[in-house]
Amino acid sequence: MNAVGNEKPSTDVYRVGVDIGGTFTDIVFVSPDGAVITRKVSSTADDYARAIIDGIGQVITSHVLEDISIGEVMHGTTVASNAILEMTGARTGLITTRGFRDVLELRTLRMPRLYDLAWEKPPPLVERYLRMEVDERIDANGNIQREVDSADIGRAVERLLAEGVEAIAVCLLNSFANPVHEQMVLEVLKTKAPHIPCCISFDVLPEMKEYERTSTTVINAYLLPVVSNYLASLVRKLAEIGVNAPLLLMQSNGGLTTVEQAGRLPCHIIESGPAAGVVGAQALSQASGIDDVVSFDMGGTTAKASLIEKGMYSRAVEYSVGAGIMVGSRLLTGAGYRLKVPAIDLAEVGAGGGSIVWLDAGGAMQIGPRSAGASPGPVCYGLGGSEPTVTDANVVLGYLNPDYLVGGELKIDSELSYSVLSHVVATPLGIDLVEAAHGAHEIAAANMIRAVKAVSSERGRDPRSYAMVAFGGNGPLFAATMAKVLGMKRILVPPSPGVFSALGLLSAAVEHHYSRTLRRVVRLTDPLELETQWQVLETEARAQLAADGFTPDKTALYRSANMHYQGQIYELSVPVEAGLFDAAAVPILEEAFATEHERTYGHRAGPDEPVELVNLELVGRGLTEDRGLPVDQGDSCAVPEKTGLRRAYFGRADGWIDTPVLKDRRQLSGAHDGPLIIEEYDATCVVPPRVCATLDEQGNILLTL
Amino acid sequence: MKTDPITLELFKNALFSIADEMAVTICRTTYSGVLRDNMDFSTAFTDAGGKLVAQGLTIPLHLGSIPTALEAVLAEFEGDIHPGDVFVINDPYHGGMHLPDVFIFKPIFVDGERLAFGATISHQADMGGRVPGSNASDSTEIFQEGLRIPPLKLYERGQPNETMWAMIETNVRIPVQVTGDMRAQLSACNIAERQFLELVERFGLETTRHYMMAVIEYAERLARAGLRELPDGEYSFEDWIDDDGIDRDQPIRLFCTIRKHGDAIQVDWDGSAPQVKGAINCTLSFTKAVSYAAVRSVLAADIPCNEGLFRAIDVTAPPGTVTNMVLPAACAARGLTGFRMGDCIYGALAKMLPDKVGAASDGGNTGITVGGYDDDRKPFIFVDFACGSWGGRPWADGVQGNSNMFANMASQSIELIEAENPLQVLSYELIPDRAGIGEYRGGVPYRRDYRFLEKEAVLQVRSDRRRVRPYGLYGGRPGKPSCNILNPDRNAQVLDSKLTMTLYQGDVFRHELPGGGGWGDPLKRDPQKVLKDVRNEFVSLECAATDYGVVIDDATWQVDEAATTLLREAHREKRGAEPLPTVTWEDA
Repeated sequence: MNAVGNEKPSTDVYRVGVDIGGTFTDIVFVSPDGAVITRKVSSTADDYARAIIDGIGQVITSHVLEDISIGEVMHGTTVASNAILEMTGARTGLITTRGFRDVLELRTLRMPRLYDLAWEKPPPLVERYLRMEVDERIDANGNIQREVDSADIGRAVERLLAEGVEAIAVCLLNSFANPVHEQMVLEVLKTKAPHIPCCISFDVLPEMKEYERTSTTVINAYLLPVVSNYLASLVRKLAEIGVNAPLLLMQSNGGLTTVEQAGRLPCHIIESGPAAGVVGAQALSQASGIDDVVSFDMGGTTAKASLIEKGMYSRAVEYSVGAGIMVGSRLLTGAGYRLKVPAIDLAEVGAGGGSIVWLDAGGAMQIGPRSAGASPGPVCYGLGGSEPTVTDANVVLGYLNPDYLVGGELKIDSELSYSVLSHVVATPLGIDLVEAAHGAHEIAAANMIRAVKAVSSERGRDPRSYAMVAFGGNGPLFAATMAKVLGMKRILVPPSPGVFSALGLLSAAVEHHYSRTLRRVVRLTDPLELETQWQVLETEARAQLAADGFTPDKTALYRSANMHYQGQIYELSVPVEAGLFDAAAVPILEEAFATEHERTYGHRAGPDEPVELVNLELVGRGLTEDRGLPVDQGDSCAVPEKTGLRRAYFGRADGWIDTPVLKDRRQLSGAHDGPLIIEEYDATCVVPPRVCATLDEQGNILLTL
Repeated sequence: MKTDPITLELFKNALFSIADEMAVTICRTTYSGVLRDNMDFSTAFTDAGGKLVAQGLTIPLHLGSIPTALEAVLAEFEGDIHPGDVFVINDPYHGGMHLPDVFIFKPIFVDGERLAFGATISHQADMGGRVPGSNASDSTEIFQEGLRIPPLKLYERGQPNETMWAMIETNVRIPVQVTGDMRAQLSACNIAERQFLELVERFGLETTRHYMMAVIEYAERLARAGLRELPDGEYSFEDWIDDDGIDRDQPIRLFCTIRKHGDAIQVDWDGSAPQVKGAINCTLSFTKAVSYAAVRSVLAADIPCNEGLFRAIDVTAPPGTVTNMVLPAACAARGLTGFRMGDCIYGALAKMLPDKVGAASDGGNTGITVGGYDDDRKPFIFVDFACGSWGGRPWADGVQGNSNMFANMASQSIELIEAENPLQVLSYELIPDRAGIGEYRGGVPYRRDYRFLEKEAVLQVRSDRRRVRPYGLYGGRPGKPSCNILNPDRNAQVLDSKLTMTLYQGDVFRHELPGGGGWGDPLKRDPQKVLKDVRNEFVSLECAATDYGVVIDDATWQVDEAATTLLREAHREKRGAEPLPTVTWEDA
């Protein structure tokens, strides 16, 4: 493939970001001087590539860009997560150690919902009769106790072939400590089933804990054919319209990867979409010099919060695909399919513009998690929706334009919002219509606040010392309400907040993540052993980045160590300084862990308590220039001069106020005190009283509370 | 003050989010396997008088235990409670549940006025006593079980009670872990205090006071609305625990009567056996927890766990029985009785709601402990809890490989067990033909084989459902019994369900869980489901024919429809015209 890393962009080379969502595929073109062209096209679920090709084609023809080349295409995709949610992945077989074929099905025993007699576990991705055992055993230290017999492996493979499997996963007990038996299985597979995509757990996740490793390896195998076919087809179709630029995929961990790597390790690109928005928020935080940021992304169905500290987002070491949205507590695990690969740490709640407002049997107002979605959508769309939504409440409050949304492209009927909220909510509760609407707005905000708290205060971080970056179609509308309750002082609303995730793709860098289990009491270990193991991972990372086209001077490696106090189950990762890991580094590492523990949980153990290393981690990153967000995104059209007035309601204390409505953020000259509404094409920003709005140098709306 | 529905929701959301945050704090900082894998802890807020306002999302078996414990604290200290005080108790005869469950409370003051308590319970890994883990089922009086802590101050006006800490450190086997986990409880209480003060700042003192009441009333409204939907009447059920491990031939009766009228429900345990010698007796608060959790699970709404829910459910149990023990009864292993009370109350609820409640679960967890000293006299202790199957339900098979409803347990990783203990696990797999048969079968149980690698250790096992099997309902049959075997591959020896014995190097101990009970007539089971079970080796070809009357061609993996019809007819004829039993503990 073309080199990614050392290509110097010439002035007319555009970079393209493509983000597939459930309803829309967002496409952005950015020129080297920061001009942005955006396109929203309907997603094509039968073949996602079609919408991409159509959208890119439309931009090229409508903007007469034929003679201008595309330098690279960055892509966030839902292909992998949909294959799991819709159970349309490969018919997969599993080869495992005798006595342990049910590890995948037994899971951790834990269930996500208490008091639920109707609970069903998600069906295993490999049915029991497709889980084959081989007679072998390696102990916890990696010693071979029972040799594996290749004839035995052969029988297992033949049975799977006879069953017509389309992919094969291999996960043997204790293979993280010694992969030799898995590698022998792989050899047999290469001879006996050369046409079947397969993977062994040591190559996917060389870490301890058989359930997490088996589940991750199985998900990877399950996705292998789907993802490689999709990528091959996308590359081919792009070439057909003359786009031969490298295609890079967003991974769940926030880094980009190549088509080859994504085809080999599709388990890394599952949460591609949500990651892109956070990467964008990170770029924004760096560009504006605000280091500590809560990224808040609210769309039509869900809202997501994530934390950026010292300019870096944080990653969770594992998560579950298809677990549904977080309903209350992160303590309730057991839903969906477990993946132990790093992913940007997000908390998600079922609150979006389409979320339904309803009353429970105790007479309390509830929001979501059910959503009216895009169809029928909120009642005011007039498309047959009969249950009030958050958007209807925002129409009643005067926050949204009463006649149309999306710059006039979507007509709405505000009377329908008034009538449904009045009948379904206000009258039964015996309160005013506008109080009901304001209540819905505040309760939706309260639900989203729980997501913000899940990533901040539940991790020992005080949200008051963070700024909020609000985006997504509904983020800028709720940001100020939420920030007030959370005690946050500053909000940034980036330009084009509705397609911000697609823009975020353009600021990401190529990254590969590696880890290896090495359980050692830190103070008793030989530092040289750790150094050697890290070097093994570094060699792997350098080779991969070289293959991606990065020269050694464009390659950065970051070590970290995943640790806990001996006996604890949850680990914390702390960065490890570059350079030789020697005896002097040991106490520094222990202290770094204790500091992080204290920061996260409010206390540290005594100095005698042993710290245990669990996993060595390494991130290899390819360095490129100019990966920031485009600065100037204003289109060429003139700034409208007129501002209108609209009555909007800001709670009992302030009541109804005739509020100025701006149609373009560039109308903000100097500081404007709220109330104020900035109604743009893809999102509406609400500035309540006592909040001040200005426009910063990067074109962000800055709200100060 | 009038209750505004919007403020109510906002306040409730904020309060429960604090309770959950307390729980997250404990979970993430804990050292003990019991806490981390069994989630055996709870967090809550009460009002100034000790009424529960919000319980964090933790385990059902702790529902409602906090008010009882706090009542004991208030009885002892009312008039002497100051800012900076922290209280501790664990004694079941002073409001606790069993000794490992340590309660820590912190009063929260605003302008000198006590407004609330932050409350936590954690199952500590050791509280002293005869055996490591303080969990033995064969103690016969509370005095053998470990350190009893009546209501005492752990901190007095912000100053640690050093006497108290020293007493605890001296009496437990693993003081670093225990005090570490108590510190985690303390930091959860401190988080509660800090965030509650922020809440007061946001809503105002008067509003906070009012809405703490309103949240309770709201839960009561929801609970009563749910109860009104249930049929009125009286429903009873009896079930037996095999024995207490001391009097080995003495089954222990559990008897539960549910009286439901309008928007009130009573759960009455009168008729249950007198308390026993073995350590499986329950405090009334524990019996209440089981009863609240079971009733809550059949109500439609997602009801906040607080005083309001408890007001709608009246639980009674006569003193001196296994369901309401008096001194000097032992109770460390009372979890067994709790899980089995759950099966019993569900039996009564199944009569009330035949289309909603299923057959018996596997009866809760089996406790397995292997402890001893290695060559360097370094102690090792391995504790495992195993459970996994639900009974068949009126619309679906029982869930398998899943925590019991009343716990929220996780299994331990095999690789972690092998890395940390002198044990090797030889198998961890589902066992065919063990689930209770039925139109909807019970969950399939699993086995674990452990090989012991050190020289010598003491093995303790607390299991049950050997003689009295998990019942089947409405024609469904009971699950197969549990089983303990020593050295299954060389002169296998079947062991008792409750045992303490010595293990030697190379010994293999196998535990097999009981299967979940079946629901409905097995001859009505969809033959395609039987085929799927046979393919997946949950049911053998033979049992498909004898139990379900389904004939399968294993060359083509097809159901032989004609042969199945004939065989099912033959089975029905042989069975006779007798109606199928509603409840059964035996095979046909």
